[in-house]
Amino acid sequence: MEYPEIDAYASMDSPIHRFDPRAKIVSFTLLIFSFVFVNEIRIALLGFLFSFLILLISRLPLAFALKRIRMVFFFLFPLLLVMPLTVEGREVLNITGISVSFDGLIFASLIIIRALAAVTLALIMLATTRFDITIKALYALKVPGTLVQMLMFTYRYIFVITDEFSRMWESMECKGFRLKANYHGLSIFGNILGMIIIKSYDRTRRVYESMVAKGYSGKPNTLVHLHMSTKDYVLSTCMVGIAIFVHVYQLMFTV
Amino acid sequence: MHISDGVLSFPVIIAGWAIALLLNAVILWRCKCRHDMAEEIPKISIMTGAFFVASLVHVSIGPTSVHLLLTGLLGVVLGIMAFPAMLVGLTLQAFLFQHGGITTIGINNVMMGVPALLAYWLFRYGYSKGFNPSALGTFCGALGMILSGIFLALMLITTGEQFTEIAYAVVVAHVPVMIIEGIITGSVVTFVMKVRPELLPLEREV
Repeated sequence: MEYPEIDAYASMDSPIHRFDPRAKIVSFTLLIFSFVFVNEIRIALLGFLFSFLILLISRLPLAFALKRIRMVFFFLFPLLLVMPLTVEGREVLNITGISVSFDGLIFASLIIIRALAAVTLALIMLATTRFDITIKALYALKVPGTLVQMLMFTYRYIFVITDEFSRMWESMECKGFRLKANYHGLSIFGNILGMIIIKSYDRTRRVYESMVAKGYSGKPNTLVHLHMSTKDYVLSTCMVGIAIFVHVYQLMFTV
Repeated sequence: MHISDGVLSFPVIIAGWAIALLLNAVILWRCKCRHDMAEEIPKISIMTGAFFVASLVHVSIGPTSVHLLLTGLLGVVLGIMAFPAMLVGLTLQAFLFQHGGITTIGINNVMMGVPALLAYWLFRYGYSKGFNPSALGTFCGALGMILSGIFLALMLITTGEQFTEIAYAVVVAHVPVMIIEGIITGSVVTFVMKVRPELLPLEREV
């Protein structure tokens, strides 16, 4: 199993890496929401190109980014095959009574482009900041502390449990177990899962005690200090501006 | 099955966020009143981590492979805290693995969190009536899965009539996964009842 290391390239240097994490989260989130609700395919395409431009500026390795963006494309690709057949509209092609509609094709591409733009932006947002600093920025943005702490601990323990799970999985495979979709395979897998749950439950006790011993009281303390510079204000204003402009432009376009 | 960005319409997304945030606020507030949050936070987080890792396992059926959601199991093990745990899990999944979407975290949370809550209540009720826990587990696991599928289909239909056929296909596609999840949940519940019965929130309030 692979580790979900999203911030593997956070130590690089680029204008996006230097962008204040709080401003980054706010402006990128606005951009994501703005691009996702575009209804015009040309504007959606511009949004996607803009996201890709930011990806180039951020100098993240393209292989790393594309591997993750690709996932969304594969996930949504079936729409491109199904929607032209199911959506009614202008017919481009008629194969023995099955009509392929142009509107369906456009609609499916619109969905895919919007999703790709959103995922590219989300990837850049997280990949250019160390995860602990993102968490600190979330506190600074007044996201409820309980949720932020849960996010932080869950992220941290995903790595631990991945190791534990891989160990158990390897030992099962050594004994000849293969996961197949039959009753035997699934009920054995259920036992592995039950064991992981019990192990994790036991771990929670030890983790809690060691955290309390180190002074944990349920309230977060972090050592990172953030401050906004003029550059951050300019960059975030530009991004928010683009997020709003896209929708104003769309209104003018349709009226 | 999560919904990706860019599929649903604006009102559906907003409604999803509103319901998800409201339910999370109520549940966390209730938990804060009854328990010490300093103890609950690491506990729920580590369990969420375990479910997150488990949901990365793919089971191959014929030519395709599905990954587990474990909606019902999450509800049975974590009780009402399954709802905020689902929010955290979905957020991490959207950002770390690009599964599902960012704008759709709210609606996905409702779609999978509400069946988890129903599975929990049903499991507790059934257990107090003296039903066999293994059979109940199987039923709750299957129920959690098929309810998620039905919710997903309903959301697709409310978004637009272009999605009607896809919505039917989605429900049908959930049936094999429902059987798989049912068997797994039943077997997990049997195992946990044998090894560490106090782990399941049957006697205590969550």
